[in-house]
Amino acid sequence: MTAGIQAIDTEPGAARPAGLRATALRRLRRDPVAIFAFSLLVLLVLAALIGGPLAAHLTGHPPDQQFANAVAADGQPLGVMERTYLPNGITHDPHGSLFVLGSDALGRDTLVRVLYGARISLLVAIAATALAVIIGVTLGLLSGYLGGWVDATVSRLTETAMAFPSLLLAVGIAVVIGPGLLNVVIIIALFTWYYPCRIVRGTTVSSKRMTFVAAARTVGARPRRILFVHLLPQVWGPLLVYGTSIIAANIIFEAGLSYLGVGVPPPTATWGQMLSDAVTSGMYQNDLVLALAPGLALVITMLAFNLMGDCLRDALDPRAAR
Amino acid sequence: MRKVVAKRLAGAVVQVLMVTLLAWLLFYVIARFTGASPAQRIAGKNATAAQIAQVSAMLGLSKPYWQQYLIFLGHLATGNFGFSFVQQRPVSEILWPATLATASLVLGAAVLWLLIAAPIGGYGGLRPRSIGDVTGRAVAILGMSIPVFWLAPMISYFLGYQPTQGELAGLHILPVGTSIFPIDGYVEFTTNPVQWAYHLLLPWLTLAIGFAAVYIRFIRTLTAEQLSEDYTRTARAKGASVHRIMTRHVGRNVAPTVAVLLGADIATALTGVFFVETVFAIPGLGYTGLSAIQNLDYPVITGVVIVGALFAIAANTVVDLSHAVLDPRLRRVTEPG
Repeated sequence: MTAGIQAIDTEPGAARPAGLRATALRRLRRDPVAIFAFSLLVLLVLAALIGGPLAAHLTGHPPDQQFANAVAADGQPLGVMERTYLPNGITHDPHGSLFVLGSDALGRDTLVRVLYGARISLLVAIAATALAVIIGVTLGLLSGYLGGWVDATVSRLTETAMAFPSLLLAVGIAVVIGPGLLNVVIIIALFTWYYPCRIVRGTTVSSKRMTFVAAARTVGARPRRILFVHLLPQVWGPLLVYGTSIIAANIIFEAGLSYLGVGVPPPTATWGQMLSDAVTSGMYQNDLVLALAPGLALVITMLAFNLMGDCLRDALDPRAAR
Repeated sequence: MRKVVAKRLAGAVVQVLMVTLLAWLLFYVIARFTGASPAQRIAGKNATAAQIAQVSAMLGLSKPYWQQYLIFLGHLATGNFGFSFVQQRPVSEILWPATLATASLVLGAAVLWLLIAAPIGGYGGLRPRSIGDVTGRAVAILGMSIPVFWLAPMISYFLGYQPTQGELAGLHILPVGTSIFPIDGYVEFTTNPVQWAYHLLLPWLTLAIGFAAVYIRFIRTLTAEQLSEDYTRTARAKGASVHRIMTRHVGRNVAPTVAVLLGADIATALTGVFFVETVFAIPGLGYTGLSAIQNLDYPVITGVVIVGALFAIAANTVVDLSHAVLDPRLRRVTEPG
């Protein structure tokens, strides 16, 4: 059905979807930066899925367990590659348990917690992005296709939402509705749906005038079918590119909320919470690893998503030479 | 021109109304269903029944919702943000100096990120795929990937704290107690402008790096677009120097677009203010808001959210209006002759 309609279409853009996907994949496979970013992402997902439990199993340190002998008598946590203290809290036990990246002020294993933190970061960012994309795509398709007052309302809504300093209001909402995993996902989605919405609206407005939509309408397709079968496939490309960078932005958003103490509540390990523990107590000035470990984890994750987003954009760019 | 200005100002008024409505809904209506009554929250945990009743009467909390909103708006319009029972001071007295500090931080950082991004982005657009361009883009994507709440303690540590311990980049090359940059303390501009700028250097840098990265990419793309236009080719054919083309032609066409982006990003920069102000101990809106959250000081939280949003709307409006002035095409269309 779809193929038949596209065959009728004589515009050069109509044959693009299948061809563009193949071209994009070929370009990505040849792009060393894309391969690097993709490998980083695979490593990240592996670290999140099996890295945490594996490290906890190998070291024998569950992520939330506090080891009294991993903090010195003067309150100083363990450094990199140090073993636990003897009961006196001054000398290290040569047969003690090894803390690869040291411990935090409460005697928890930094390495294990950083690996577990990847789970919250990815889970929240991906769930919030999915929710934002669902809201944004629905509103964008409707406002782009229907136009009129629906379009006017949605456009004013996006403009106002974009004018807000998002974190400020997000913190306000979080204070009122309380912390928790689901609440954090909802809050983040509430402040990101307008990016996919604008993109989908723009693409819908430009492609609804194309011949294949008119052809579909001629053979009696209903609006719902036109929206989801004919118009939605047109937005996959830009959505993929922006989705990737929205995930990156949402990782920062989640970490920021955790940093401000309104994210996923402790003792669950999150990168933002770990950073804030190290920074607000000033502990990182004596033990930089406390801030370096979760911070670098964040930077590497962001870098992977940002690079991937750039490569996807270049690969999907129809104007670029094939 | 006057029409454009009037339309934009009317838009700003609508935005202000929406912001206040949202804030009111959040702190007075939604809050009611999530635990303590608004009056209880505002009066604080140790308030007596009489105090709560007084607050409730002042805010008209027993009246219908629409009247409550009008009372709320009326209070805001007269600059009455309520009373902080935690700090025992009117909220407006707390917010005014905080807004000035935050404005110093954000506006100064915006100037800095433009100063960093304009030459790098412009060069990248002029000479794509050159070593300078590739380096600039790599630095930009790295800068975009560094969260400000990590950058703030790192800059504070390496440029502020470490020199006081006699170290620079891990090397013991400085006398102990060296202070290159101050890491805390804030001096008001009216007290001492030099000290004001000196104390804000590291905070400005921290806030500017992430945005500079984004602007390098913006300006690079915009410059490349302009350079592929016919008018730049004509200018080149007439023998104009690269410098003249970049400043007289490309720069003038890029500036209005950058100005519009700047308006939106000053709103976004308010996000970073939370982290930068707490690390560098600047008594601005972020610092005030955060300590209010920790103390559950609801009137101050509400005030910070509203003032922050107003600040963002003001920045957007000013930038949109200056866009009308900067863009010669807009000027010509609206002012014939």
